[in-house]
Amino acid sequence: MKILVADDSRVMRQIVIRTLRQAGYDDHDIVEAEDGADALAKVGSEKPDLILSDWNMPNMTGIECLQALRASGSAVPFGFVTSEGSPEMREKAANAGAMFLIAKPFNEDTFKEHLDGVIA
Amino acid sequence: MTAFSADLGDTGERRRTSDAPLAITDLIDEATVQSIAEEAWLALVGEEEYLLPLPGGPADDAVSSWVEVVGPWTGTVVITTGRSTAEELSRALLKEHAPPVLDAEDVDDALGELANVVGGNVKAVLPGPSALGLPEVGNAPEVTDPADVVRIDVLWRGQSLSISVQGSAGALPDPYENHENEVPL
Repeated sequence: MKILVADDSRVMRQIVIRTLRQAGYDDHDIVEAEDGADALAKVGSEKPDLILSDWNMPNMTGIECLQALRASGSAVPFGFVTSEGSPEMREKAANAGAMFLIAKPFNEDTFKEHLDGVIA
Repeated sequence: MTAFSADLGDTGERRRTSDAPLAITDLIDEATVQSIAEEAWLALVGEEEYLLPLPGGPADDAVSSWVEVVGPWTGTVVITTGRSTAEELSRALLKEHAPPVLDAEDVDDALGELANVVGGNVKAVLPGPSALGLPEVGNAPEVTDPADVVRIDVLWRGQSLSISVQGSAGALPDPYENHENEVPL
């Protein structure tokens, strides 16, 4: 399985990847994207099976990336990993087609809770 | 989502019932900021990483990171510490991926991401709707109204660190400033 991790913070991308491994998902290919536009391009070139994306990023936000993907007909599973987890944002994410929203800070248990069943 | 928003979930009612500007001291207290910061440190920095609520005095060669909150209450959430402590924090966040020699970009990234996580959770307990800006790093924004500040001073690994939630009502944002990357709610 190929997982695309999109976050404008390199440090946070490393933390997300490390947490994936701590949660037991350590046998998957990881692709990194540094903003929503990069993620959108890499969906086309890398064909990921799952996207874990920050929300608030320069160039293109995570929600804009998700909306662009769905508008283009892509149904790739998409989840947010973001510093905000208000009910309004969760609703907006769900309405746009996100499977889940993990609020930062998170740990491996949070990842397992949302990703078991999503990651084979 | 933290428990804080459930405790202090706000509908903006206070804003509607009064024209007086909101002061941060009416919206959040030091204990909540401390809890938010502790949760962020334990999850991101490490399980044994504690923030002791003890003032350590001004940090040498201070550097700050912050995120702006724009909404019924507008201001910034600022983390300030010494440059060497910021480097140590970066290593703690990167763990085995920390390079032998950290570059300034990594340090700014790590300190900014901590402000982003703390700021996002502070925003969650404030009246909405509001938007969160992208992290910035440098010299801390000035406090424009000392009455509109909630600040904690802590020690991390014996080094001074402060977190300030400070209003910017006296320095209204430029309406033409680029906020296109903020989260619309």
